This record gives sequence, C-alpha cells and structure tokens, in this order.
Amino acid sequence: MLVLVLDGLWEGVRTRASIYPDEVGADLFVAQRGVANFLGETSSLSRSVVSEVRATPGVRFADPVRGQFVVFELHGKKIASYVVGYVPGRHGGPWTLDAGRRPRADDEVVIDRALARRHGLEPGEVVEIVGTRFRVVGLADASAVMTGFVFVTHSAADTLFRTPGTTSYVLVGASNAPAVQDRLENHGLTVFSRDQLAANDRKLYTGIFGSALKLMVGVAFIAGSLVVALTVYASVADRRREFGIVKAMGATGRTIAAIVVRQALALTALGLIVGMALYLAVRALLAQIRPEFTVVLTNAGLLRAIGAAIVMALVAAVVPARRVAAAEPAAVYREV
Amino acid sequence: MTRSVPLARRNLFQDPRRAALAVAGVAVSLVLVLVLDGVFAGAVRQVTAYLRNVPADLIVSQQGVRTMHMSASALPDGSIERVRGISGVAWVEGIRFTTATVRAGAGRQLSYVIGYDTDTGRGGPSSVANGASPGPGQAVIDEVAADELGIGVGDKIRVLGRPFTVSGLSEGGTSITNTTTFIRNADFAEVRGPSLSYLLLGTEPGVKVTGVARRLEREISDVTVQSKEEFVEQEGLIMKDMSADIMQIMSIIAFAIALAVVALTLFTATLSKLREYAVVKALGAPSSRLARTLLVQATWSVMLALILAVALSFAAAALVAAITPNVLLRIETVAIARVAVAALVVGTLGALVPLRRIVRLDPASAFQT
Repeated sequence: MLVLVLDGLWEGVRTRASIYPDEVGADLFVAQRGVANFLGETSSLSRSVVSEVRATPGVRFADPVRGQFVVFELHGKKIASYVVGYVPGRHGGPWTLDAGRRPRADDEVVIDRALARRHGLEPGEVVEIVGTRFRVVGLADASAVMTGFVFVTHSAADTLFRTPGTTSYVLVGASNAPAVQDRLENHGLTVFSRDQLAANDRKLYTGIFGSALKLMVGVAFIAGSLVVALTVYASVADRRREFGIVKAMGATGRTIAAIVVRQALALTALGLIVGMALYLAVRALLAQIRPEFTVVLTNAGLLRAIGAAIVMALVAAVVPARRVAAAEPAAVYREV
Repeated sequence: MTRSVPLARRNLFQDPRRAALAVAGVAVSLVLVLVLDGVFAGAVRQVTAYLRNVPADLIVSQQGVRTMHMSASALPDGSIERVRGISGVAWVEGIRFTTATVRAGAGRQLSYVIGYDTDTGRGGPSSVANGASPGPGQAVIDEVAADELGIGVGDKIRVLGRPFTVSGLSEGGTSITNTTTFIRNADFAEVRGPSLSYLLLGTEPGVKVTGVARRLEREISDVTVQSKEEFVEQEGLIMKDMSADIMQIMSIIAFAIALAVVALTLFTATLSKLREYAVVKALGAPSSRLARTLLVQATWSVMLALILAVALSFAAAALVAAITPNVLLRIETVAIARVAVAALVVGTLGALVPLRRIVRLDPASAFQT
C-alpha cells in the first residue's frame, strides 16, 4: 500500500508539475532568454514583445501573463502559491471555474479550490497577498505541486511585484505551431511548445522530489518485505511439526523451501489485494482532506507495485525457508 | 530468597530469528518516519543557510514579504537612502535576488541568483573554497552544483540568459530544491532592472537592534523590517508548513505498519506460549501480571527497534550525503524523542489483541492435553 501511495504521489507530482502549460490552452510560450520553465524560474520580458509576437504571421493570439511564486499567510500558516497575472478576457487565466467568476478588477482574485477548502475561503472573502488585499471572486481547480495557483489581473500583478511595463511569458495560439515557433525563434525569441515546457517543468519537479521519494520507496519496500517475512516465519514456526512429517516422508529441503516460497507469494498476493483496497481508501481520503496532494495510479505504477510485491515475497521467504529446509525429519517424533 | 523470572524477555527472545524480524520490521517503519522528518529538517537547514550566514542585524524587504525562498521582493526606489538616514544604522547594503537556472552545456541547475556589492562582500558567499569573488561578467557558483554540472573555475555558464565565467566556488549553498549563484549587483541590474530586492543592515555598536527596527518601521511605512533571526525563522516556516501535511500522512502510514508488526509479533509469540501462560495463571498469577509481561515484551520490541532505527537513519544520512550531497538528512533529537513516544504508544496498542486472549485464558487449559 505504501509503495502504491508513494508511487501515486510521484505520478501526482509529474501530473501537477506541468498543469499550467498542459491546461491553459496555448500552443507556444515565449519566455525570457535563458528561462526554460514556467514554474520555478522567474522570467521577465518587455511588454513590447507581445506586439512583436502578435505581428508574426500564423499567430492567432498572443497574450501576456506574469508568473511569480509568493509566500503569504493564512490562519498563521505560510502558504506558497504561484500568482498568475493575466489580462481579463484573454488567455492565461483559470481554465475551469468551480465557483464564482474570473477576476475583472485589480483587487479581485481567483484561488485554487484546494487552498480555499483548506482555509475555509469562499467567494466574497478577502485575502492578503504580499501586503495587498484581494477579494476572492472565484475558485478554480488549479493545484500545482504542494502549492496552488492564484489568478489576478496582469495590472494587479504589475503593482504587486513592482514590475510595470514588463511581463513574464507570452502565450501564443497558432494553427501551425512548429512553423510559428521557427519564425519567432528567428526573431531571437526563446519559444517553447506546450510539450517542451511541460516536460521541462516535470523534469524540474521530479528532480527536486526524486531523491527523497526514491529513498522513501526503498524504505517502504524493506518494511513490506519484513512484514511478509515475519508473517511467513510465524506461520512456519507454528507448523514445524507438519514440515517435519513432510520431510520424514521423503520431501527434500528444496521441496519444502518451495512450499514456503509459495506461501510467501500467496501471502503477498493477498497483501497486494488488501493494500490496493487500502490505497484506494487513502487516495479517496487524501482527495477529501488534502486535495493538493494528487495521487495518480497508472498501469506502470500498478505493475511496479506487483513487481515489488513479488520481489518482497521472495526476499521475505529466505529466512523461514532456510529454517524449514534445515529442520530434522526426526523432530516429528519428538514430543512438542 | 525468591527471584522473579523475566518471563517477558525470555518468551520474546526464545526464538531469536522471529524477534529479529519483528524488531527489524518495527525499526524500518520508524526509519520511514525519521528519514522523512530528516529530509524536511535538512531542507529547512539548507534553505536558511544563506540568511544565517549574512552579516546583517536587520533585513528590509518589500511590504508584506517576509521570506526569500519562493518569494519575490522589490523595494521602492530610494529605500536605501531613506534607511541610511535612520539613526543607529551603521551600514546598509542592497542585494538583488531572483530564482533562475544556471546552465552549462546540457546541464541545468535551479538556482537563487544573488547580486551583491563585491567591494564590501556583504550579502555574498560566506566562504569561497576555490577561486575569487566575481568580477564583471563573472559568477561564483556552489561547489556541489559545479560538480553536478561538471564545471570548475574558468568555465562558462549561462545565468539570466547571458554568459558568465565561473570565478570561484562557494560552499553550503545547494539544497534539495536549488543551488545559489552570486554575481555582481551591476550585472544583475543590467539584466533585471535597477530595483533592489532586500536591504541588509548593520547597527551601530551598543545600539539596540529592536530599537532601530522600530524606528525603521515608524519612519519608512512601505517596507517590512525583520531581524535576521526573525527572517530565518520565517524562512524555515515555509518548509515546515508545507511539509506538515505530508509528514502527518506518512507518519500515520508508517506507525500503522509498526503497529501491525508489533501486534503480529506479540500475538504469534503469545499464541505459541498459551500453555505456559495457563500454567503461570494456574500457579496463581493474576491477569495483571500477565498483562505486564505483554507490555514488557512490547516495550522491549519497540525500544530495540528504536535503537536500530536511529542507527539505520544515521547510516542513511551518511549514505545520502555521499551519494546526493544536495539532499541533507538531518536527524534531530526532538524527532527521535517524538518517534520514541509514538513507538511506545504503538507498542502498547499492539499488546491489546493478545492481552484480550490472555485475560480470557482458562487456567485449567494448562492441564488439558
């Protein structure tokens, strides 16, 4: 179960890391030279770049967005969020709304629904972000990795970050994206396709969380192996006499060890089924209480868990199998 | 003279292999909690490393900005002159800050990029292990990041979209999330504009830091003033608050596993010794004596497991430091104490199932064949 949860969290990180480029509806993203990520890096472009992009043949739309991580406080807790400033009525804002409407004025904000739910925020309430008060006008499904997006107008973001006359990225719509990308790059701009930017953000986040999660999966694997080993060992210890009889009847140590291995495999299979049920329960619980932690089950993840379970069973069978295989057949005749 | 028989310990360790598996099972579950706690404690330490080492008494940031990690601060024009005029301020240094990537060939590292005054050195790297402070078009990068990127002093990197030459390698600036790169203030301003991000302040000798902070807050209304210690605390809170939920979830899962292992061990150990327990009961031992036996077994299991878990966690920390130097696993005493208390609770809970069996045990069953 733990392996499945950790694997699911890992997949959740991958999915949520690239949610903005995946969902915002742009085909291309123009960034500052040297910037390769939407999340994580700070990009700064002159607003004149927007007109330059709009004038490029094949461009359907070109809209500026400002993006910046911020840390603010709600109910005495530090909240890391990613502020997106966009021009109302243009691209770059929330892709779906769960409640309320999109921001129209500079003192309005749409916040991630997971963040809102956790802090009991509803449309109409006021939050303070970087010393500025905003009225919540809508809630969106916009959770990133351990953070959430908040959407304000571009001009509000300019004031908030004291960056007038600039923007962070230009979102571009194009019917023939590769051709437009070539044209924009020929103008000396740094341009990413949706897939490129999404892949860069996934790489960045999996790089950050990768080492820690892999370590945790390793520890979970050892814990699982030990639980199976203990259970099989207890069961074998209780049936020493029966194993003695089987051996006295002529079974070899290898045959008996095979019985123990089968027992470990059966136990692990049962554990996998129970673990699967527990995993689904934990996932449902997390979705309710902490929706910002996305747990995703993929076929590959399930196969990895099955593979891990089989290896666990084999590792777990070593100690009890050695004990039974080494038992003397004569033990059966002794008084227990 | 009579001597009580250590029934609990003997029963538990009569089968050393089962005892070893049980202790190892509980230990690994506890390692899970300690390692996760260690990852976050290490991250707090790493994330606050720069601020802990700057030589400032006070730090001024944009109004409403209390942190540096995952934050942006842009001070109003003229802030540095206004702060300089406040009585009790000995020196003021402006630094520029953003988060960007450092590139070398195909390699990339997410980095704090800090622009500082190389003449005074304030706000720059706390120690340069190799090379020198950055000159025009030069940068100091952390040695761990340099190692990851496969570069050294004299090599070319790209920061903020323009080329820099590595002039030196600093220490202790790489964390689980990012590394730290230092460039000259002028180079930073050239790419990102003149706005300063934070002001570092030193106070005059003998002047109360809190008094200067109060004067600053009173006379300059559109900034946030914090002592270095307050700033470091706020910075650490980002990691703590962000990790609190995941820590809670993983701890519950890990302790549930530990509970299952303890309960399973005590249950099977009790079942295999039911006849002996019935004999002890037939000899006149009250149920409370047998309950104590079980609790002692549980305590033995979890305490041995805790010792093993702490040893394994320190080993894991050393291993992680050798393999991935950007991840710091910091096993803190308070975390060990927390896990020890939780483990004892788990052990007690694990003893409950076999306890019911023992309490209901009929002493006459000792004489049944």
